Amino acid sequence: MLTGRVLVLLDGSRMGYAALDAAADIAARTGADVLGIFVEELNLLRSAGYGFSREVGAASGISRPLDSAMLERRMRRLAQEVEEALARKVSSRGGRHELSVARGRVVDEVLALAGPQDLLVLGRVGWSLVPGSRLGSTARGLIRKSSSRVLLWSEGMVSPRNRIIVFLNDHADANHRALQAATEASRYHQLPVTVLLRSENDISADQLEAIRQDLDVLGAGTRVRVLPATDPDTVARVLREERAAQLVVSRECSLFTEPGADQLLIALSLPVTVTP
Amino acid sequence: MPLPAPLTGEQVYYRCPPEKLDFITTEDLEDLEQPCGQDRVLRALEFGANMQADGFNLFVLGPSGAEKHELVQRFLSQQAARQPVPPDWCHVFNFRYSDRPNVIQLSAGEGQQFKGDMSDLAEELRTAIPAAFESEEYQARLQELQEEMARRQHQGLSGIQEEANANNIAMITTPAGFTFAPMRKGEVIDPEEYKTLSDEEKQLIEAKVEELQKKLQQTIQQIPRLRKEVRQRVHALNEEMVQLTLGGPIGELREKWSHLPTVVDYLDAVREDVVEHAEAFQDSDEGPPVGLLARYKVNLLIDNADTVGAPVIYEDLPNHQHLTGQIEHRARQGNLYTDFTLIRGGSMHRANGGYLILDARRVLTQPMAWESLKRILFSGEIRIESLERLYGLVSTVSQQPEPIPVSVKVVLLGDRMLYYLLSHYDPDFLDLFKVEADFEDDLDRSDDCYELYSRMIATMARALKMRPLERDAVARLIEHASRLAADQRKLTAHDRVLRDILSEADHWAGQSGADTVEASHIQQAIDEREYRASRVRERSREQITRGVVMIATEGEEVAQINGLSVLRLGASMFGQPTRITATARPGKGQVADIEREAKLGGPIHSKAVMILSRFLASRYAGEGELSLSASLAFEQSYGGVEGDSASVAETCVLLSAIARIPLKQSFAVTGSMNQHGEIQAVGGVNEKIEGFFDVCREAGEIRGQGVLLPASNVEHLMLRADVRQAIAEDRFRIYPISDINQAIELLTGLEAGEPDSNGEYPEHSFNRQVAERLTRFAEVSKKQDENGGSNNGGGRSSD
Repeated sequence: MLTGRVLVLLDGSRMGYAALDAAADIAARTGADVLGIFVEELNLLRSAGYGFSREVGAASGISRPLDSAMLERRMRRLAQEVEEALARKVSSRGGRHELSVARGRVVDEVLALAGPQDLLVLGRVGWSLVPGSRLGSTARGLIRKSSSRVLLWSEGMVSPRNRIIVFLNDHADANHRALQAATEASRYHQLPVTVLLRSENDISADQLEAIRQDLDVLGAGTRVRVLPATDPDTVARVLREERAAQLVVSRECSLFTEPGADQLLIALSLPVTVTP
Repeated sequence: MPLPAPLTGEQVYYRCPPEKLDFITTEDLEDLEQPCGQDRVLRALEFGANMQADGFNLFVLGPSGAEKHELVQRFLSQQAARQPVPPDWCHVFNFRYSDRPNVIQLSAGEGQQFKGDMSDLAEELRTAIPAAFESEEYQARLQELQEEMARRQHQGLSGIQEEANANNIAMITTPAGFTFAPMRKGEVIDPEEYKTLSDEEKQLIEAKVEELQKKLQQTIQQIPRLRKEVRQRVHALNEEMVQLTLGGPIGELREKWSHLPTVVDYLDAVREDVVEHAEAFQDSDEGPPVGLLARYKVNLLIDNADTVGAPVIYEDLPNHQHLTGQIEHRARQGNLYTDFTLIRGGSMHRANGGYLILDARRVLTQPMAWESLKRILFSGEIRIESLERLYGLVSTVSQQPEPIPVSVKVVLLGDRMLYYLLSHYDPDFLDLFKVEADFEDDLDRSDDCYELYSRMIATMARALKMRPLERDAVARLIEHASRLAADQRKLTAHDRVLRDILSEADHWAGQSGADTVEASHIQQAIDEREYRASRVRERSREQITRGVVMIATEGEEVAQINGLSVLRLGASMFGQPTRITATARPGKGQVADIEREAKLGGPIHSKAVMILSRFLASRYAGEGELSLSASLAFEQSYGGVEGDSASVAETCVLLSAIARIPLKQSFAVTGSMNQHGEIQAVGGVNEKIEGFFDVCREAGEIRGQGVLLPASNVEHLMLRADVRQAIAEDRFRIYPISDINQAIELLTGLEAGEPDSNGEYPEHSFNRQVAERLTRFAEVSKKQDENGGSNNGGGRSSD
């Protein structure tokens, strides 16, 4: 159960606002406060300070001059928009909110604010929406370093045929945290849970039975599948077969540390909860 | 001229002797397949039904109640049974022009199969195509494709990023794009610090940044092309999957329907359409959109699977939509939608390849129906268009189905007046309805016809599911058929009246508990019908009995005579006497027809008065001048007079007025007269005689009264039993007259007189008295003229 705050990283991008929606929902459900974090990235501010700085449009490819004053103005406007959006979305659900505006490196600033009991919600990519880039460097950094639970939000339609997928390994504590997150997600989305195991030996039969029962909050049954392989393609296929609506995975999970994990997350277009 | 003898009971009624009917009840008689006496109609129908050339449609004309419809329907059904079953027709979606549904012709019964096949195919598409898209193979190929594309897109950008990093330049994302800045240890160098770098270093960095910017620019500008390529390759993959999935089912259908190129073409179009819309089939949860699958339905417009022979269709409400078909709409959230599945065929479609029977009057009373019918017959194809579009009232987009070629024989049923009016006023009519099938009103009555007529009655009786008729009953009905035809030598061909009498007789037979219908039941039916229609007649007679309307039935009067008239009310008619009076005085040879002067006389009546005026002049004035100012009036007649049947009576009353010789009031006179004084036949003689008979009876005892009627009308007499009884007892007499002199002699008891070689009539003869009186009139007139002339001359001279 969430005991801390819901932190949401806001950068004014579409994905950021989608993450804000999800964060406001979770906060409304758990009664947690929402802390919006808007970071004015130092590297960006610096890069605008050069006389030769130019900005190449992400969609058009057109290059035009970039200067600090313009960037500052843009940042201020973004911060204002973000604050309004935060107020609108959280207040409409009856929650409390706060916006922290900081200047520095995003990962550092977020980590400085986030505690172990908090939930950090962020979009997969920010406004650095480079075509083909499915996972921003910020998201990647926070998943690796955050001590709190991270929800990497992704928009998608949820139908009753979908399932919540939780990935377990042989690490009992990590499994416990992941299962807790999966139970919450199951209750929230009203979807049944599928447990994915790397090998049958990871968990004893008794434990597995207990897990089954704990996860079956809807009474629709819990499915357990053993992965034939852990390469990203196989995992992606299994997730499609299970009609995954959300994936819960522990940061300790070996799968996550394997090479190609990024690729896996690229292939998946669904919310991923990474538990500590 | 010898006086005619009064008619006998046998002459005024042509009996049907039961011994000529060779059966006991109508149960013994076989059904009659063809109506008797309608050979002309049957030959016309046979010709019209088999004539293949354009425009040889039929117009069956005849009086109402002749059962035209039954005969035509029966005849055409027999013809049609020998003819081939016409094809099925269906509308299918037009994939090229969606608002113009195509039409497909199939052999009878194939329409249902084709519809079923397409329905099965649509069902298969609903499941098989989403399954193909869910297959591991498709998903894997799609993923490969997407990954490859993502890689290619990413490669460009990450290549630039790597190149930048290698040169210690950071590629930084901004809210709108990218920028480059020099970096050190993963951090962008502070611009202040950058200023401390040597010019050479700065130049190198800036040159590299510029180069990178250009590369980035090029890479980004290639992205749309890459995206388009992805879309095309995904589409190609989808098409490939659908082609493979559809190959089996469509191949089977193509094989099955290979004998019909239009169906094969349609199936190919369906395949192309499914491939084109492959993405729409991908959503396995919701299934493909209903609207998409509805396009592969078949609208079976005409299904002749169960038709035997050619169709014979009777359209009882022949309006435009029912004839040509219509396009219906479906209301959805307050809006009206339509598609090719809502096209409905009309009776023209259903009758295609066969016969369509229509009531001409109904077609003509429906807006645009007649024009639409003609248009179809002229063009040989049915084009479905709504009435509001024809009138130009709406211009919203609607369906314009491909026209269907039509080959239908239209049979219009109508009365004669309609046929002649259409022939006269509609120039297209005779081009389209070249075959005229004219019903006989009456059939010839001869000894040979009794058997056929009896079988016809037997057929009717069985069709009415009534008790069989006794032989006497049939004989009575045959006699009544002659009365209905108003001719001893004819029998009516009006089925409706006969059927009604049969039904009523059956009812009375049932009331009396009889197992068969007897002559008395037929008589009761006739009497009851008469009685039901007799209210006006009785009121009219009552006026005469009470003396309100003055009619004398005995004694003698000068310048007064009983004429006979017939009144028709609805389906019944009755006769009654009318007093005709005349005045005569010297004058300028004028006979004033008061009825005409008062605009109550019709043109035929006026003509008859003119004829009698010229008759008087030529017979009595000879070479001299007719000096007469006479007037004629139908007393107490307020409803108008038409016809020439009173001209004999008018002549007699006028002569009586001239000669001042009284006429017997016990006679009533009917008959038309020509300029030579010959008597000509008139209509309604039975009703007239019976009408006078009734008036006489109600006035007191029948004692020597009678009717003078044209001798040529004798064979039209079919009088009532009580009249015949009085004739047999010589209490009532009917004199057949052929010349005006006979009428004069019967009415006055005087000799009429024939002129001698000098044109002089015999002494004391009626005509002599008339001539002498007219001569006196002439003298008086001449004297008046002379006095008037000398006065005038004096007047002028005195001036």
